[in-house]
Amino acid sequence: MIVCIAVVGHQNNPLYIQSFTEADDALKLHHIVHCSLDVVDERVNNPKKSGPMINETFLGLLYPTENYKVYGYLTNTKVKFILVTTDLDVRDADVRNFFRRFHSAYLDAVSNPFHVPGKKITSKTFAERVSTIVKSVSFNTAG
Amino acid sequence: MADPAYSALRKILLDEITPVVMVLPTPLVEERCQKNGLSFVQMLTPFCVFNNIDVPVRTASDQPYRLQKFKLRMFYASDVRQQNVEVTKERLKQVITDAGNNEDSDLYLDPSPIETIPISSQPDFIPTWFQFFNKELVRSVSFSDHEAFDHPVACLLVVSSNDKDPINKFVELFNMNQLPPLLNDGAMDPKIPKVFVLVHDNQDGSPERATKILAEMRNTFGANDCRLLCINSLQDEALDHEPNPWEFYMPNASPDQHLGRLLNKEDVDELKDFARDLSSKDIIPNMEQRIRVLNQQVSATRKGFRNQIKNLWWRKGKEDAPENQSVNMYTFSSIESQIRVLGDYAFMLRDYELALSNYRLLSTDYKLDKAWKRYAGVQEMMGLTYFMLNQSKKDAEYCMENAFTTYLRIGTSGKGNATRCGLWWVEMLKASGQYKEAAGVYFRISGEEPLHSAVMLEQASYCYLLAKPIMLRKYGFHLILSGDLYKKCDQIKHAIRAYRNALSVFKGTTWSHIRDHVHFHIGQWYAFLGRFDVAMKHMLEIVACSHQSKPMQELFMKNFFQILQKTGKTYKISRLQLPIVNINSLNIVSEDHRTYGSPAAVSVKESIWQSLEEEMVPSLTNAKTTWLDLQSKLLPNKLKQSNVCVAGEALKVEIAFKNPLQLSIPIYSVTLMCEYSPNETIPDANNSSVDQSIEDEKTTSDTSLFTLSEVDITLTGGETTLAQLSVTPRKEGRLKVTGVSWKLSDSMVGFYAFEPDLIKKRISKGRRKAKQNTNKLEFLVIKSLPRLEGIINNLPSTVYTGNLQRLSLELRNSSEIPVKNLKMKISHPRFLNIGNPDKSDVNFPSCLEKEKTPSQKDADLDTTKKSDTIFHFPEDTIIHKETPFVLPLWFRAATPGNVSLYLTIYYEVEDKSTAMRYRTLRTHHILEVLPSLDVSFNISPCPSRLQEYIVRMDVINKGLKSLKLRQLSSVGSEWQISLIESIQDIIPSGNLASGQSLSCFLKLKNAKTTETATDVWLGRIGSEAVFDTQRAPLVNFHHYEQLHPKTSRKEQEQEHQSTVDFMLISEMEETENQPPQIFSHHACHCSVATKRPIWWLLEGPRIIHYNMADPFCETKLKMTLHNSSTFSASVRINTFDSPPGSSSSGNKVGWHDMTSPPIEIRVPPPESVKAVALESVPPFIWTGLSTTHVKLEPNSTTEIGLLVTTFAPGTYDLSNYTLHWNLVGCDDVREKEGVCGGHPFYLTILREE
Repeated sequence: MIVCIAVVGHQNNPLYIQSFTEADDALKLHHIVHCSLDVVDERVNNPKKSGPMINETFLGLLYPTENYKVYGYLTNTKVKFILVTTDLDVRDADVRNFFRRFHSAYLDAVSNPFHVPGKKITSKTFAERVSTIVKSVSFNTAG
Repeated sequence: MADPAYSALRKILLDEITPVVMVLPTPLVEERCQKNGLSFVQMLTPFCVFNNIDVPVRTASDQPYRLQKFKLRMFYASDVRQQNVEVTKERLKQVITDAGNNEDSDLYLDPSPIETIPISSQPDFIPTWFQFFNKELVRSVSFSDHEAFDHPVACLLVVSSNDKDPINKFVELFNMNQLPPLLNDGAMDPKIPKVFVLVHDNQDGSPERATKILAEMRNTFGANDCRLLCINSLQDEALDHEPNPWEFYMPNASPDQHLGRLLNKEDVDELKDFARDLSSKDIIPNMEQRIRVLNQQVSATRKGFRNQIKNLWWRKGKEDAPENQSVNMYTFSSIESQIRVLGDYAFMLRDYELALSNYRLLSTDYKLDKAWKRYAGVQEMMGLTYFMLNQSKKDAEYCMENAFTTYLRIGTSGKGNATRCGLWWVEMLKASGQYKEAAGVYFRISGEEPLHSAVMLEQASYCYLLAKPIMLRKYGFHLILSGDLYKKCDQIKHAIRAYRNALSVFKGTTWSHIRDHVHFHIGQWYAFLGRFDVAMKHMLEIVACSHQSKPMQELFMKNFFQILQKTGKTYKISRLQLPIVNINSLNIVSEDHRTYGSPAAVSVKESIWQSLEEEMVPSLTNAKTTWLDLQSKLLPNKLKQSNVCVAGEALKVEIAFKNPLQLSIPIYSVTLMCEYSPNETIPDANNSSVDQSIEDEKTTSDTSLFTLSEVDITLTGGETTLAQLSVTPRKEGRLKVTGVSWKLSDSMVGFYAFEPDLIKKRISKGRRKAKQNTNKLEFLVIKSLPRLEGIINNLPSTVYTGNLQRLSLELRNSSEIPVKNLKMKISHPRFLNIGNPDKSDVNFPSCLEKEKTPSQKDADLDTTKKSDTIFHFPEDTIIHKETPFVLPLWFRAATPGNVSLYLTIYYEVEDKSTAMRYRTLRTHHILEVLPSLDVSFNISPCPSRLQEYIVRMDVINKGLKSLKLRQLSSVGSEWQISLIESIQDIIPSGNLASGQSLSCFLKLKNAKTTETATDVWLGRIGSEAVFDTQRAPLVNFHHYEQLHPKTSRKEQEQEHQSTVDFMLISEMEETENQPPQIFSHHACHCSVATKRPIWWLLEGPRIIHYNMADPFCETKLKMTLHNSSTFSASVRINTFDSPPGSSSSGNKVGWHDMTSPPIEIRVPPPESVKAVALESVPPFIWTGLSTTHVKLEPNSTTEIGLLVTTFAPGTYDLSNYTLHWNLVGCDDVREKEGVCGGHPFYLTILREE
């Protein structure tokens, strides 16, 4: 299950954080997302030598915590998408696909002329679309 | 990275993994030592560390080397055992608590900013007690049986010279029952080298007895193993050792204990020599020898190919045996233990190569035996040996990890060892600069025990800080985690430290959720510790938590106010974020010569007022010079530019407060902050200005300078409220509005200082008169002036169109100084008209009724004649205090829609000495006008009458209420109007309900006489009370209706004669007893003109009786011709004798002919028209001229005689003539010339009987 999805601006400021759990763990997820930015920075500054990683937006598994797995995605404008999931057995391709869909939703949201770049995304349409994407995605290979 | 030789781990290992000396003293020895405040071990400890011992060592190899640094660890035999877990826990907790209390002092200082930390890359900012704690943690697992470096290498038996029978005492001391379990349960060889020490207290007497005993000892135990130690040479007087060697090892001792106070220099030197001799002459040689012996054994049994095969086979065989890992499986005599001892001894004597080879050997054995704890221990030592050898970092780390995971795998018994192993591993990683990995290991060390975890996580966080690149967010996160754990263990001070350090990461970021959480908890914890002032500092940060959920906000606010209450201090916070002041909404209204009747009037654009006032007010530049000329004597030049306000009159300030929360917050005592300075001190006002802001209450109560209004507001969640504040200066001088303040509670005052620069910028952008507003917040207070207040009584807010009402304007002057020379201008004279001030008590609406006797016209009728619309009050009007002046006003709602009426009243001040000579009062009224009747008129010429018209009036009631028609009047005296049919037939009820429409026809006649019936009564019969449309106010309103371009359909150049104005008066009965509401609807400039400039009328007898004596009958007819155009016309009349050709319109009858505009002129020529059979078969002939030609001047009438001759009785249609006209000098092609057939005219000839 996807627990949390976040958009973080290029100055590491949160643009959008949405948790999809019933529990009151927003703060914890904030921390996890915030913390994972360190890993993103590390990944970006020391890219792996392997060839296909160049121009790759998908950053892969950032770090596994006790109960979660955190995935990252970096757009060309240095906006980061962070995904926190409780599924432990996840295929990279699924996550990649999820991020691609999320990215297009994000693009539509920031293309709104009333959106101020660098400010929080408040669009309701975006929120709805994200929640449909999240609901439609299931990382469980069994499912 | 740093050379491992100098790394912390190396230091730790050289400190911790050193030979242990077991000490067994008699109680008397302890007693003697305690005279110095020290135990025997404590007394010796400082001298067991050797930095330059310089001892030659030869281990397994033949090559000797020299040891420089060396250390002995002294322990009482009772301490040489594994400690109780619970005791250890308590001790560690105590360590942490003590550390927390020690940090008390700097806990309340501001944390150093994060930027400076990485620069001082050495861990001086890391709490120093970590090292101590780690050491304690490591020590808690010492003296384990699975490793040998904690096993005592020698035993000190200490007996006092005062003991009775010292030799026996020595024997008794080494009693097996009191020996540590390591020796007893066979984990180590009980045949431990012993050293016999005799302690002599010099205070007990001369050392002779001691030397005697020593000699005896030497005889009994051998000369080499006996020592004499003399202490307490000083007699009673205390000596302070400077520096005190024991202080470092006993940090808890208070300075007045005078550690070692009875030891003189000789004693100390003796102690030094004793320790030195002990290590260099006893311990090291013993160890050397042991190594050599063991090495020989190991080589014999294990080295070489044969031994290895044997060993392997032997162990294989053991595998089948059940895994009874009993404690005694490896006794001291087993080869594995011996290898371990060999390795550890080699390690302690720094022969790492030897140690490593033995550890390697051992590790495979233990692995095969599945003795995991021992295996882990050996792996651990291998890792450390690799590290000490400073080679193969990878191998070292691999071994450490292996040891760590193995310890963890064996469960609780390995936990402590795992922690120790982890700590060493961390140090190893730190030594090579792998801080990130070190942090990871710290994280793994942290287990279930929350307090230990907290410390480990905190250490991990510092590692992230030291990592390259720096990982600030992880630093923060781990600090938060550790803080939470500290809190769980009630280590509040530590929790605060962790959180405060974390704050430096989150400060200034937009991660407000986390930041709020941190601030909130720090605040709470400080409050818990009773430091409410510091707590408040943090609580203030979370006050504007608009992004939090509502329950969170409630929680925050609750705690905020609780802490605030407990603080007991009054806070005055600049720019308190609760509520948020919207500085852009700041609006200051000051009244100088312009005064405003209502707040609505203030918001009206200045240009509107200026255009209204420009005729009344002395011209602007002129005015300026006049009153400023006057002032220039009184006031410095500089002030001319500043804003002016009048003493005693309120300065109104509007400012918006926004509540960022979802809760409703009440705020109290919202008030302005002002500064007042007397006039004289203006050039250097700063030093003597009276600061009368609210902080000092003494001056606030002093109302002599100015008074402030206070407002209480309750802001509901998310609401923005505009607060209306005012300040009233009392004296002349200068007043400066400096800010606004409010109370969130009694002890929380927020204020917002207005920055002059900010506002100035805004003004210059927004308004064009920025030059004058050099400082909008500063006002020049001038002497009190009279100020008129005006209200319009009974002005309705909603009216129907056309409603006519009588109102009154009431002007009051509250000042002692009277005002005079009043003038007034109304923006919409269509709506408001001034009544006759003399007739203030007239009965409305009956005053409108026509008087029986023609009265002279009212005086106020003159207003219509005036070119300008300024109303001058009567010359003698002077308004004094307490005598209001009432001016009657007529109000008529002219057009539907929302209407803004502006009134400005100019008045002059009687007192010449004041700075201002005149003032204006501006009032603004807004009302909504609803539609009511819609009246339209269509006028068409009457075909049968000259100069007469048929008027069709269409009335639709578009209002919501039914109206009763009252009268229709043509305005002026030139048009006579009459009903064609009775109104009762059309609309019997007389009521025009909502949505109902009505059409009726009226006859209109141009009458030049003075006495014309210009009014038609449309109401109920019998109650005729016709209103006089010639009198005020109806005529006045009509005048403005006429002037209004929308209602006047034609241009003013039109002839007066050719247009007619109608006024429809109706009434609405709202309630039974009230007089009805009167409505008047005006239709102006309804044109009577047609497109045909020539009018004619054929007149003559219609029926003629004649005897047929004459063969024919001549009838005289008269044709009246009228030229209605502005050009002179030539008209030709052609008569035909043939029967009249009827045009298509000729067959039609009745009024249709009339209504269809007689414009379609071009009748086909009669010749071509086929004759239509009429009753009168015999023809008639026009006698006289067949063609008559006349010339008509503009607007003139002429008559032509015509003669028709009939030959037989009958009815004849005399329409067989045409009129041709030609306008001279007319440009309009359509009007220039035309032809028209005759109107039907039937002449009946009857035979006279």
